[in-house]
Amino acid sequence: MNDYIEYLPFLIPLIILEIALALTALVHVLRHPHYRFGNRVLWVLVVMFIQILGPVVYFAFGRGEE
Amino acid sequence: MNGFIAFTKKELCESLRTYKLIILGIVFLLLGIMSPLTAKLMPELIGSFLPEGMTMSIAEPTAMDSWMQFFKNVPQIGLVVTVILFSAMISGELSRGTLVNVLTKGLCRSSVILAKFLAALLTFTAAYVLCFAACLGYTVLYWHDPVSLLPLAVFALWAFGILLIASLLLGGVLFRSGYGALLFTGGFTVCLFLLNFFPQVQKFSPLRLAADNVSLLSGELAASDFAIPFVICGLLLIVFLWAAVSLFNRKQI
Repeated sequence: MNDYIEYLPFLIPLIILEIALALTALVHVLRHPHYRFGNRVLWVLVVMFIQILGPVVYFAFGRGEE
Repeated sequence: MNGFIAFTKKELCESLRTYKLIILGIVFLLLGIMSPLTAKLMPELIGSFLPEGMTMSIAEPTAMDSWMQFFKNVPQIGLVVTVILFSAMISGELSRGTLVNVLTKGLCRSSVILAKFLAALLTFTAAYVLCFAACLGYTVLYWHDPVSLLPLAVFALWAFGILLIASLLLGGVLFRSGYGALLFTGGFTVCLFLLNFFPQVQKFSPLRLAADNVSLLSGELAASDFAIPFVICGLLLIVFLWAAVSLFNRKQI
């Protein structure tokens, strides 16, 4: 357990940032139902489960025009 | 000049509203935190992969290891993400036809390109500074050994990122599509890597700015070895921007 405590100053911001990234993308996926390709289920899975790159790919390629 | 400033503001506003700024900031901040963490974890990671009963003496990680991770992660992930996010800079606007209005109202065409470049430069710089500050903070906190020539190495990587952004603009003007711009920048980078096989070219190639930063820190290369790549990088930057502006001037929108 001591091992983990040593890394907490790294892990806490890392986890917060990853969750923030995934949540920003998730909210956008759910509120904007139009995508350039793919459907809602696909994009929800992509942004939730592919770390870092999932949300980036969604915002770069997946989001539709408003 | 007024048009230029207004268009730059519009670009910055756009990158905020399309989440580009936030995504880029978060990704770079993640990289900045991950780099010292990986350096710190490395001995344990290697240890856990070794078979039972086998021992290997691994040196304690130093500040140098942390910066090695930084100069590996930022070019490999950070620059790729930057290029992907900015790839639709020109093409999006062309396909939506939103440029026609501002251009007929008298906005100079070169302003469009230069304002887009400036906005992308500012966004990338902000994200990069964030990443560097996070990495520096953790590194100073955990290790106390000084690393020489760090500012130059960090600046070199930044300059290479700016060069990639300029090449994206030229690619976007040339091909009118986001994928075309990506391909152009990808092709440009692949060419640099291929040219790097020739030892004579290595001394001049701007790729050195992104690939040999660690050699600079470890003292294998001197600061003067980076002078020519910096000049070439600056020249290429000017050529790319000039080509993008002059092509865009002749382009039908």
